[in-house]
Amino acid sequence: MVIEPLSKQAESTAYVPKVLMLGWEFPPVINGGLGVACHDLCIAMSKYSNVTMIIPKSNPDFVVKNLNLIGLNTIDAKTLRNIGHADSYRKVKQVHFINTHLNPYYNGNLEPHHDLQNLTSQYLKAIKIGDEIVEVFQIDDLYGGDVIEKVTIFGKLAAKLALSLDFDVIHAHDWMTMIAGMEIKAKTGKPLVMHIHSLEVDRGGPQSKGWVYQVEKRGMEYADILMPVSNFTGHVIHDYYHIPWSKIVPVHNGIRPVEPFKSEQMFKEKMVLFVGRLTRQKGPEFFVDIAERVLEKDQNVRFVMAGTGEYFNPLLERAAQKGIAHRFHLTGFLNLDKVRKLLSIADVYVMPSLSEPFGLSAVEAVQFGIPAVISKQSGVSEVLNGSLKFDYWDINRAAGYILSLLHDPVLVENVKADAYKDLVNISWDNSAKKVIDGYNKFKLIPEPV
Amino acid sequence: MPSVCFYFQVHQPFRLKRYSFFDIGKDHFYEDDEKNKLILDKVSEKCYLKTNRKILDLINRHKGKFKVSYSISGTALEQFENHRPDVLQSFIDLSKTGCVEFLSETYYHSLSFIYSKDEFKRQVEMHREKIKLYFNQTPKVFRNTELIYNNELASFIEKMGFKAIVCEGVDRHLGNRAPNFLYQPAGTLKIKSFLKNYRLSDDIAFRFSDRNWNEWPLHADTFASWVHKIAGNGEVMNLFMDYETFGEHQWEETGVFDFLDHLPMEIMKHSDFDFKTLSEAADQYKVRDIYDVPEFTSWADAELDLSVWLSNAMEKEAAKRIYQLEEKVLLTGNKDLIDVWGKMQTSDHFYYMCTKFWSDGDVHKYFSPYDSPYDAYIYYMNVLADFETTIEETVKDIAPVKKSRRRKEIADN
Repeated sequence: MVIEPLSKQAESTAYVPKVLMLGWEFPPVINGGLGVACHDLCIAMSKYSNVTMIIPKSNPDFVVKNLNLIGLNTIDAKTLRNIGHADSYRKVKQVHFINTHLNPYYNGNLEPHHDLQNLTSQYLKAIKIGDEIVEVFQIDDLYGGDVIEKVTIFGKLAAKLALSLDFDVIHAHDWMTMIAGMEIKAKTGKPLVMHIHSLEVDRGGPQSKGWVYQVEKRGMEYADILMPVSNFTGHVIHDYYHIPWSKIVPVHNGIRPVEPFKSEQMFKEKMVLFVGRLTRQKGPEFFVDIAERVLEKDQNVRFVMAGTGEYFNPLLERAAQKGIAHRFHLTGFLNLDKVRKLLSIADVYVMPSLSEPFGLSAVEAVQFGIPAVISKQSGVSEVLNGSLKFDYWDINRAAGYILSLLHDPVLVENVKADAYKDLVNISWDNSAKKVIDGYNKFKLIPEPV
Repeated sequence: MPSVCFYFQVHQPFRLKRYSFFDIGKDHFYEDDEKNKLILDKVSEKCYLKTNRKILDLINRHKGKFKVSYSISGTALEQFENHRPDVLQSFIDLSKTGCVEFLSETYYHSLSFIYSKDEFKRQVEMHREKIKLYFNQTPKVFRNTELIYNNELASFIEKMGFKAIVCEGVDRHLGNRAPNFLYQPAGTLKIKSFLKNYRLSDDIAFRFSDRNWNEWPLHADTFASWVHKIAGNGEVMNLFMDYETFGEHQWEETGVFDFLDHLPMEIMKHSDFDFKTLSEAADQYKVRDIYDVPEFTSWADAELDLSVWLSNAMEKEAAKRIYQLEEKVLLTGNKDLIDVWGKMQTSDHFYYMCTKFWSDGDVHKYFSPYDSPYDAYIYYMNVLADFETTIEETVKDIAPVKKSRRRKEIADN
């Protein structure tokens, strides 16, 4: 593996910043929202900068154009250990495999851990090749627990690796890479940017004060600037983590263009759609309440929830209790194609999230020409003028919006037309430019020549 | 001897409440009383009372040489009657000086000329009665809602007996001519048009407190020197603006009242200049050329057209639906229902639905009591749905014979 200069603008006189990114999820290993966002942002940024991305685990066959992608699983620990003595990264070989068994966004649904001990041992054994074994153990003692150990060891290894790399700025994504980011900043003195896609306070509610919260808080305090995916998340950072606004630079997410299509209806009633994990954060029980209110006025509507999560059974019961089960459908987990199929027949999209840093699914609905009714407690509400917005607890208002959309084609036409105009501005290229602007504004990278 | 003609627009709409889909059929009261009263009180204190006091003081100080014209919508007068008789009284006091003229407009500050000439006429007459009642004047000069204007309107207004009409001085129709003369609307016989001098009017109305403007801070002597430039090449300097400019759009802290205080004196330092009401100016000056405006113009936004009220699908749908009700509403003969219908025609309702700048994120360009143009439209259409039902039910109860008689009465009128 050899790092080559990547800039397509090599001939131009403008300085091309060198960015060291730290990611956790990354395609194709995990195809979650964070992975896709990191991937698409990296690609967009490679137009304006040289990006090197360190992730815990990569597939050597997965090559991303214009991006140096380094999975720690592909690097021999011995080589890593020798960094600092050796001259360059050229000596790094693909030998060892570090598995990370952590899925940070599915709190209620962690995978079985029966082999975690083994994996951890295996991991430790790998590090044992050489003299520096003690160092790893020490870190384990500091925090305890497997999740913690993983992000910590990731941090140690990434920091070691970073010493062999040439970069201007560190750009970490979410709490899993914050320790790595802090380690690297401490070791290299390079400025640290933290990109915030989701916070413990979003997932667990405002009372969250656990370990993850503490890492987030410490990481964000230590970072030079923070790039939340919305002003909304900027406010969460400010209000719940007490970070000054002066170092918060919101960068809205972009979206991949799609080819929308329409499909034939499966039933004669109109369809109102929810897509998302069935967890507290997404406000799924509000969707049931909204459905009940709409059905009071209009029985010719079906409500569909696509997704799964710990609220699945309670939601089924809630709908049955309200006597609306005949108009209420829970699909369980659906893959992307099936979600798109639903988008192709839906009449209204509803996102009642309690705390949604961005909310890409609403933009996907808009791409399919569906008017979106979204909570004001979302980042996407800042960029979708062509949408109807309500406070997530305001059931009446949301129900009123849905009824108006179902009965008034003029309103639908207008909202759709405005939303299409919004889509023009929701692009990863815009996000990438904002990131680079942020680096420049805070003088994190050398001045353009 | 050029004359400065001030015309101030005074208007307050009856804003609709956040009328939900679930209120349809249950709640037949549509206005947001609380908000209307709150805004009226705020503007009364910040603008109307203060500015009226200032104008009265200026008229007295200059011994009747300072003159202004007002157009006050019927909906504003009604709100003064109901909640702020002190404001109404301060306008009456001004009318007694003999230096203040009240112009004619549609009672409901509506877009009726575009949709129904009958309704337009009805509202102009209603407004005339109201002006006569309070100010003991019969308006001779007409101004349409937000200076919406075209040749056809000028012609129509001429036939209604007015001697002059107010409009925007739109460059695309003026060409290289100045707005500082009276013009003859194309296709009319003797009615005269006053064209707003938008540059100087907007210096006061919009730019006065703009710190990025290279003329900031603007003082009365500077402004007067700009006005004086038309000496020898202009007869009327038409300064037309919303009355709320004073104290509400331009806060007192910007010095706008001091500016107003000094302006008459500074303008009259040039002995050729005086102030006239629009009627006096119309009597004094001859028309100098034809002003040909086949399409509707207005004083709104940069486009100076109808796009603020009638460009998106929601605005058009709402307007179409409210005017479609005309025959049935009048057929009910029910004064209250006819009044509700009139109030729903107020142009502000459509303005709140405007999305022109919505997608550019420039959403604060518009004043609106609602969170979004969609809300404005949704509440309006919910109210309309309830109102339509009421009208249908009322009309159903009217005997068919009576119906035809009533139709005849309406036609005769």
